[in-house]
Amino acid sequence: MTEQGRGLFLEVRGLEKDFRGYRALEGVSIEVKEGETFGLIGPNGAGKTTLVRILTGQIAPTRGEILVDGRPIQPEEHRFRRRLGLVPQEPSFYGRLTPAENLALLAGLYGISTHRASERVRELLEWAGLREHARRQVRFLSRGMQQRLSLAMGLVHDPEILFLDEPTSGLDPEARSAVWEMVRELSGQGRTIFMTTHNMEEADHLCHRLAILVMGKIRERGTPAEIKRLLGTDRLELRLEEGGLPELMRVCRELSLDCGEEEGVMVVSGDSLPEKLPLIASRLSGSLRDLRYREVTLEDAFLRFMEEVGN
Amino acid sequence: MRGWRTLISKDWKLIYRNRLLLVVLLVYPFVIMGVIGAAFQESGRPVPLGVVNLDRPGGPTIIWFELLTPRPSGLERTLFREAEESTACASLDQAVEGLEGGGFNLTAAAVEEGSEPRCSGHLMGPGVLEWLLDEMESSAEEVRYRDSGLEALEELRASGNGLLVGVPSASCPYLGESLWMEGRAHDSSSLLCDFSRDVAEVREYAERSAALEDLRKGRVDAVLLIPPGFVRRLKALEKVAEVEVVLDQSSLVKAEFAETAVRGFLSRISERVVEEKMRAVVAGLRILVEGGDFFGTRVVGLSRIKEDLVGLREKLADDPKLAASLEEGIGLADAVMEDIGEAADYLRSTALPVELRITSVAGRPLAAKDAVVPSLIALSMLWTGVLCGAVLMVLEDEEGMGVRLRLTEMGPLALVGSKLLLAAGIVFVQSAVMLLLAVAVFGAMASNIYLALVTIALSSLSCIGMGLVVAAFARQVAGAVILGLLFSFPLVFITGIIFPLNLMPSFMRVLARAIPLTYSVEALSGVMLRGEGPAGVLGEWLALLGFGLFFLALGSLLVRRRAG
Repeated sequence: MTEQGRGLFLEVRGLEKDFRGYRALEGVSIEVKEGETFGLIGPNGAGKTTLVRILTGQIAPTRGEILVDGRPIQPEEHRFRRRLGLVPQEPSFYGRLTPAENLALLAGLYGISTHRASERVRELLEWAGLREHARRQVRFLSRGMQQRLSLAMGLVHDPEILFLDEPTSGLDPEARSAVWEMVRELSGQGRTIFMTTHNMEEADHLCHRLAILVMGKIRERGTPAEIKRLLGTDRLELRLEEGGLPELMRVCRELSLDCGEEEGVMVVSGDSLPEKLPLIASRLSGSLRDLRYREVTLEDAFLRFMEEVGN
Repeated sequence: MRGWRTLISKDWKLIYRNRLLLVVLLVYPFVIMGVIGAAFQESGRPVPLGVVNLDRPGGPTIIWFELLTPRPSGLERTLFREAEESTACASLDQAVEGLEGGGFNLTAAAVEEGSEPRCSGHLMGPGVLEWLLDEMESSAEEVRYRDSGLEALEELRASGNGLLVGVPSASCPYLGESLWMEGRAHDSSSLLCDFSRDVAEVREYAERSAALEDLRKGRVDAVLLIPPGFVRRLKALEKVAEVEVVLDQSSLVKAEFAETAVRGFLSRISERVVEEKMRAVVAGLRILVEGGDFFGTRVVGLSRIKEDLVGLREKLADDPKLAASLEEGIGLADAVMEDIGEAADYLRSTALPVELRITSVAGRPLAAKDAVVPSLIALSMLWTGVLCGAVLMVLEDEEGMGVRLRLTEMGPLALVGSKLLLAAGIVFVQSAVMLLLAVAVFGAMASNIYLALVTIALSSLSCIGMGLVVAAFARQVAGAVILGLLFSFPLVFITGIIFPLNLMPSFMRVLARAIPLTYSVEALSGVMLRGEGPAGVLGEWLALLGFGLFFLALGSLLVRRRAG
């Protein structure tokens, strides 16, 4: 995924939040560009939801500054709230109302005219694939459908920035895939999205840029590829016949690759590993029992990073 | 067995670590017992009793007698016949002026259906006034004593036919008489004071209207009207002293307590009077045997008669003079038999020297259904209001919609206000339907339905406000319902619905004043049962409005703080 964006839409500087002596966020600074999907990843309890609650004006920060379009704002300001949409982590809709009624209710509360509201409801029901279920009470819909409705409810007033707080938490793979597709579609339309997740696959697939939040502090930031590079590299795992080890060491020296042993498996890593792979394979063909190329995932990188932070 | 122990241990831990369960199952019963115990702590406390004593000098300037009779003209004719001077007056005011100026010592207004009252002033000779009053009181079907002539006239006109008689208290022949009892003289005030000491806390009033106003306001639980001539009747052989007690039957329990207290000390007075009279009768009977002064009659005594008769039997044949003596003895025996007959009458008349006439401050006796309706409506408002307010607020969080709603164009005022309006509507409609059903179907009393509806509207505000406060401590609808019930249940015991406020300890009475339900019950009872107008319940209305606004503000603040 390529990095998109024009100017900065949202900028957070030195944000801190204390809860009765406990510091939930410390010196958080991030920048979200217009039209990009920005991901905030981190383990449970890292402070992701707290940051979303501050940015959406639900709670006030203890210290720090928030800028929108380069101008400092108070997130609880009415003008800013009108520009943001939110899909909370927990199910958030009236179970005894139908999807159409839920959407129409929010449209009414955002002051959208009746005529425009009914059009908007129709559009969103279509977009979320809920047109056929528009008249069923939401509590009778599947969890996936409910989450699609929740996403649609965040868009009723056509916000400039959409906050998604762990949008696929608790969904089965099919439902999760459907939500990803919807987020990708929104991103494709140029909508600015700020999402939190602890699903690394989701972050890798959907986000243009990421920040890793651990224990209230931003530890790393960058594109998924940059973070993967920062935190880990692709590697080659080899099982050799007896006597093959000296030849492997020679090859690694010649190709400037690192080589080591992990639990009886030889592990080779270094730059341009995919290009060097054919040469390694041909040099070791006589003694090679098994060879596996392991591409580093964001999850690998994150786990390794968490291990380091833990240590 | 080990498995059982494990399960019990698990459940105990679940209870112990769940604050709500802990409160409901372990702490709450103590709270309830504490509240009930505190409310009933002083159940032996004297009943506050208002007394209007017309049987004492220094009371109202004019005592008004309402004599209910189908033919007032007969009594009126007697007045004209017996008076030294009589003057027809254009109005009662004019007659009163004559009375105050000393021109008359009795004024009367004859009220007959279909015609204007006929007012007159009369000057009665010495001794006639007392006889006339006795005569008129005994010939009327019912006698009421009032402290305002105009009010009495209006009342009489509303009742039907009758004669209103006004007498200056200075001319009343028998005010302030005393009765010898327990070794000393008692007038009406000291009788009441001595005999009511343990059961009632007597507050004396100069005017009946002031006493009734305090009864309506709940400052006293009953008003006792002591008629002029009360002590005189106690002393008389052939009369019964009638007293009127006015009860606030809008609270049946309060009325019951008050009536029991009044009956209790009046019966003690009756017992003492009977005892004194019996003592006199026994002494009299002894005189009948021994001879002496029997209630003003000089009697010889049965023993003497017996001696004479024995002598006669022995000597009659020898001495003709004794024939005359025998004749005298027979005469004496007749006199004794007559005296014993009078004594028997005396005993009969002293069996019930005091008679209690019970009336209601509502103007008519109230049935249980009448008295129960205001309390039921108030309870319904409390529970519906608290539950409705709490549940509607918690519903947003349970559905997870609170966050979304706070991001919309709607401010907190609209979010809370809209719920308030809906909840108020539900409570109002429900209570109004209850009220109308009670009146239309069950025939319950409601003097003024419109004022009752205003009270319901004001009460609903405070009940919903309390619901908002409860909502701040609950996360889910089930929790809000439980908390709402836990919160509102003890209030029932503190607000005078079950146990009269006046009989509670003083700190409980202060606490009751801090609960809106107290004012709801008082205002509803006032407008439905005691015929109060807006002015009569204005204080309660303002209190309800104040509580409503306070709880709404507090509830909104707590709900907002929790959201943050």
